[in-house]
Amino acid sequence: MKVLAFSDSKTILAQIISRFRDDAEVHALTHDTEFTAKFGAAKTIGMKGDILSGSVAKAIEKMQSDEGYDLIAIGSTVTGREVAGMLATMLSLHAVSEVNSVNLDGGKITTSRFFYGGKSLLTEESGAKIAVLAPGIAEAKESPGKTEVSEIQLEPSAVRIVSKTDKKGGSVDIEKAQIIVSVGRGLGKKENLEKVEPFAKAVHGEIAGSRPVCLDYGWLSEDRQVGLSGKKVQPKLYIALGISGQIQHIAGMRNSKLVIAVNKDKSAPIFEEADYGIVGDLFDVIAKLKEKVAQ
Amino acid sequence: MPYNVIVLIKQIPDIDQMKTNPGTGEPLLQNVPLRMENLSKNAVEAAVRIKEKNGGKVTVLCFGTDKSTSVMKEAYAMGADEGYLITGYPGNYPSVTAKALASKIKEIPHDLVILGNQSADSYTGLLPGSISAILGEPLLGNAVDIKLQEKQVSVVSALEDNNLEITAEMPAIVSVAQEINEPRLPPVLQIMAAGRKPINQSAASDLQVPEIKTLSNRAPKSDRKRIVFEDPAKGIEEVSKVIREAIR
Repeated sequence: MKVLAFSDSKTILAQIISRFRDDAEVHALTHDTEFTAKFGAAKTIGMKGDILSGSVAKAIEKMQSDEGYDLIAIGSTVTGREVAGMLATMLSLHAVSEVNSVNLDGGKITTSRFFYGGKSLLTEESGAKIAVLAPGIAEAKESPGKTEVSEIQLEPSAVRIVSKTDKKGGSVDIEKAQIIVSVGRGLGKKENLEKVEPFAKAVHGEIAGSRPVCLDYGWLSEDRQVGLSGKKVQPKLYIALGISGQIQHIAGMRNSKLVIAVNKDKSAPIFEEADYGIVGDLFDVIAKLKEKVAQ
Repeated sequence: MPYNVIVLIKQIPDIDQMKTNPGTGEPLLQNVPLRMENLSKNAVEAAVRIKEKNGGKVTVLCFGTDKSTSVMKEAYAMGADEGYLITGYPGNYPSVTAKALASKIKEIPHDLVILGNQSADSYTGLLPGSISAILGEPLLGNAVDIKLQEKQVSVVSALEDNNLEITAEMPAIVSVAQEINEPRLPPVLQIMAAGRKPINQSAASDLQVPEIKTLSNRAPKSDRKRIVFEDPAKGIEEVSKVIREAIR
């Protein structure tokens, strides 16, 4: 069996290679051959040129006609989903998206994905040959296996890049964090982060936030957003402070091992998704928790 | 210069009001009201703002059912000029939706097609790419800002690690992110006027629905302990022990 793996996120690409390399001959399409080569794909193909969805889709279309992959596995990013949508049309293949578990069985593929905004988990069997895989499909593990490295030149796209601005933050990878202290609207204002930081430090946690906190109010940088449209995290301890627990948020932290929630509203849905909950003022609670934990 | 803008909108069940069967975990869709999909509203807003600034026309397309006239009227109330409802929506099959919408788009002269980047119910994010490939028009995705100059469209595309400013010649497809704007709440008078405006309705033909077997569709299992302390003092006592254990 042959699988083509592509992602413009090298982290997700490493996860996809790790997921399939034992069952299939994996060819990995990457913008960073040096990094990707460590994960044991049979072939590592470096892309030269701008990574734009139209150009990548054309390159994969050609590779598919040369190699006849059984599955084109694409990391779920903005660019990845665009490429998958284009390829589904260009190759007349069925595509399934935002998949968080995948099993191949002969010509059939069984996939699970969240539906109704995360309220249900939909498991389907189909003949899909294109699968868009959510971050965390497998643990990325390096492999000593040899890989054949080559390069391809991407065709120019009808879309041109004018400029590129790195998002502020960028240094933190909350998907890898073991302990996360996550804040929601209950934080009240950005300045209150100062009250959360000492607590996060005391529990050795990274600070993350819900969608409103990271996107709507900009109290935290976007790369710290946990949720269906943000990062999917799986720490051993997730502490949710002033987070109501909208389903879109739950979908991003559901795989946490232990969940603790603090919220002043005892009917907040987050308590349904928590192992331990405290109803009360979050600043009061974390100040006291910090003292107790330090003892 | 004036622009002809097509907006693609979707009608979805109001997910926030949707419950799952406590026994089986299956979604309960009866009596769940239908509403306009979140990013569809941002897409309509983006198109109407382009018209307000440059002139032109906003045409709304919806692939839905007989019940979708309500979202069309909502788009009218927000400022859309004309609407086409294609009925026969068979469910969430992005390839089917892309074909049904694209065949209608081909009949309408346009500079831009605007749609949401990922819909709030199914989240596949496949539609923008598929529409772009069918029409052979460039895709500028996940836009948080749109600028038009003559025949050139430029957007700021919000990617995971950076914001990319990209540009292409129209006609083009632009998918929008939530951050692009705050959709307006139309005044009552406009809502009433929208109710009287005609909607062009036709049935989709020749739908090729892929074979997909649903093995299960249930609320994800949650095995949380759900020990909630309403007395903070007691909670702090117990939870601090749990935290100490967890961070060791």
